[in-house]
Amino acid sequence: MPQQLAIIVLVDVGNALTAESLKDNVYLFDNMKLHGSEGEGTGDLVTAINGAYWRDGSQASEQVLNWLPYSLGSIPPTVPRGYQADRARQSDQEALDELDALTSKPPAAGNDTASQLAKIRKTAGTRVKTTRRTSGRMSGQKILDVTGNVVGEGETHAYSYPGPVITDIYGQAVDEKIIYPAEYGSPDLVTDGWYWSATVDTSRPGTYAYTMRIQLHKLVQRSGEILWEPVNLTCESRLRVTAEPRFNAFTGGGMGLLPIPPVAYSYPAAPTATDETGES
Amino acid sequence: MKPQVNILALVDVIGALSDRTLGNGNLSLVDNGDFHSLGQGTPELCTIVSPGQVVQWQVLAVDLQTPVEIKSITFLGPEGANGGALNGGSHNGAPDGGDGEKLDLGVWIGIVPPYLPPGVGHRYRLELQMYEGDNSVMHIDSPTLMCL
Repeated sequence: MPQQLAIIVLVDVGNALTAESLKDNVYLFDNMKLHGSEGEGTGDLVTAINGAYWRDGSQASEQVLNWLPYSLGSIPPTVPRGYQADRARQSDQEALDELDALTSKPPAAGNDTASQLAKIRKTAGTRVKTTRRTSGRMSGQKILDVTGNVVGEGETHAYSYPGPVITDIYGQAVDEKIIYPAEYGSPDLVTDGWYWSATVDTSRPGTYAYTMRIQLHKLVQRSGEILWEPVNLTCESRLRVTAEPRFNAFTGGGMGLLPIPPVAYSYPAAPTATDETGES
Repeated sequence: MKPQVNILALVDVIGALSDRTLGNGNLSLVDNGDFHSLGQGTPELCTIVSPGQVVQWQVLAVDLQTPVEIKSITFLGPEGANGGALNGGSHNGAPDGGDGEKLDLGVWIGIVPPYLPPGVGHRYRLELQMYEGDNSVMHIDSPTLMCL
């Protein structure tokens, strides 16, 4: 059944950054299991692409592949577009309120200003410095954990990574002109407004490998500033292309009359009954 | 007169599987015949054709990422004949018969036979398969083909 084919690239971002490799840290899924895809949910997916051709050999269906990178250990991509910025702004407001409360208090005895300030610093969280290279979707944001709370400087608990980004699809399947991948703009912000898609030439059956270059972001501290630094990694997957001829589903072969029973046939005489009565 | 009439079945696959019915607006049939077919956009489509015309059925999922194919089209005999019993006439000519994953190779196309009397509706059963499993096959008996 031809349908839009989706390949989900689920990346365990934290572990991939630690290992500096996508090996064993990427899980691939597609929606073609019914048609023979193998290795669903593993790093070794073989996507089945079943083509069809007409009697004259020309291609009878067009298969379209779409790749969607998802992240393990991040804030879900389905939260509102401004979520990160909203959370950053909200923590700023909370910190200002706390600061206000602190300054309005009389400088009476027993007020430990230093610890109060430390608490405010915690509320304010850590803002990520953006350079020209990392500006854009991550600019002016703070480090959040997966539940959306700000993470303070020096705190060790887990933080949410920016989602993985596919930056290129290349390799054998592209070199041999089996797939024609390109990145397209999309109105769907869940994909960050971009997605990779390809059409498939199903006229040359076989198994073809391709490689995805995936960009992750690592949180680094450099000369007192905290930055998201891009890390480029690659992972491989395969496509298994098959093609079969199309046929007339009524006749099993070529063109014919529609199998509509003639009127006479819908009033069948009951042969046995007639025989019995006619036997006298 | 057009040499070919196309009948398109639009299916909300998720709706049909959730409701377990092709009713509730989950299936809508339209055609591009030139004799003012009746019931456009409903499962009761009555396509008016002329003998010798080619008719092709196609199915399209409303959500492109959901699978749906025609499993069979079976003519039930002229209207009022015998309450819609399956009295022969059609089958899925697929070589390996009804295997869900090969259904996309079938092309549901044929010529309107010259012997059809005018003005008599020929109801047919349209059977669709959506993915696989016990509840993946559903049908409707309501559409008809009628000669001008």
